[in-house]
Amino acid sequence: MTSLEIQGFNRADLGKKGSKEVRKSGNIPAVLYGGDEVVHFTVSPASVRHLIYTADFKIANLDIEGKKFKAILKSMQQDPVTDEVIHIDFLRIIADTPIKVEIPLRFKGSSPGVKVGGKLIQQIRKIKIKTKPEFLVDELKADISKLELGQALRIRDIIVPNGIEIMTNPSTPIALIEIPRALKAAAAAAAKEVGKGGKKK
Amino acid sequence: MLQPKRTKYRKQHKMNPKGISVKGSTISFGTFALKSLEIGRITNRQLESARIAMTRYMKREGKVWIRIFPDKPITKKPQEVRMGKGKGALDHWVAVVKPGKIMFEIDGVPSDIAVEALRLAAQKLPVLTRTVTRTDYVE
Repeated sequence: MTSLEIQGFNRADLGKKGSKEVRKSGNIPAVLYGGDEVVHFTVSPASVRHLIYTADFKIANLDIEGKKFKAILKSMQQDPVTDEVIHIDFLRIIADTPIKVEIPLRFKGSSPGVKVGGKLIQQIRKIKIKTKPEFLVDELKADISKLELGQALRIRDIIVPNGIEIMTNPSTPIALIEIPRALKAAAAAAAKEVGKGGKKK
Repeated sequence: MLQPKRTKYRKQHKMNPKGISVKGSTISFGTFALKSLEIGRITNRQLESARIAMTRYMKREGKVWIRIFPDKPITKKPQEVRMGKGKGALDHWVAVVKPGKIMFEIDGVPSDIAVEALRLAAQKLPVLTRTVTRTDYVE
């Protein structure tokens, strides 16, 4: 699993006023929770860029003025207009304590439906799981090698490794092979031809 | 064109929208989106025009989501009519947008096509806009 080193600095002033000061200085206010203590600190936007703007699940190795923590990105607030990151929540990883995380969902294999001309549409990109840190994986894989044209793959079809519990409803569709307009039109025309042929006889 | 099926009251006050859009300011369905940077009113004609511009450029591939709905009735008095004698007749419907509001979302097309489609849609709208992408999007 990939991890990222992030340098943090303790915050002196908390609350709205303190947070505004931090943002004015070009940093992002952040909080770390999940253990016996809550740590309020600041991080630089450059240090968290590869944790936020990525499709991969990464673990953050936080170094807050000498104290080291292992954490995951729990949530993030962005400015509605500028999309700047205004606050980050980190959840501390503690051994033997189950955590709920959202990890990316990837596909493996090639679908026969796509080979015929169908279009693979991914409906869910991230999936919420509950697991202990020792069983944590960086992605879940779903096999699409048996997915024919017009068929859908559901949560229950995902290959789930040991020690992981999926929190989403098992019947939720994750991907489907859409039949393109051209193929639909061709199928309709072929059906019409067959119908005409039958009538003539 | 988009308009409500039925309404409780025929006419509404003008109102004066303030602030920024807190709801509907994140991408929910697609990968690329068009975000409003100003307060404004989008008419149902402008919405339809923008939608057509997008779908034409995308050659009916991919998927488009419209995240705003014109649910505010706008009235207008006829030409050369003196003031007074009550509020005018219903003229058109608008969607009120505030800065930060996601108006359109696109998925299922490459980034260059999506960005160009959203640019063409933005030309039909009376507000300043910005194209935004999902944070976990990778080319």
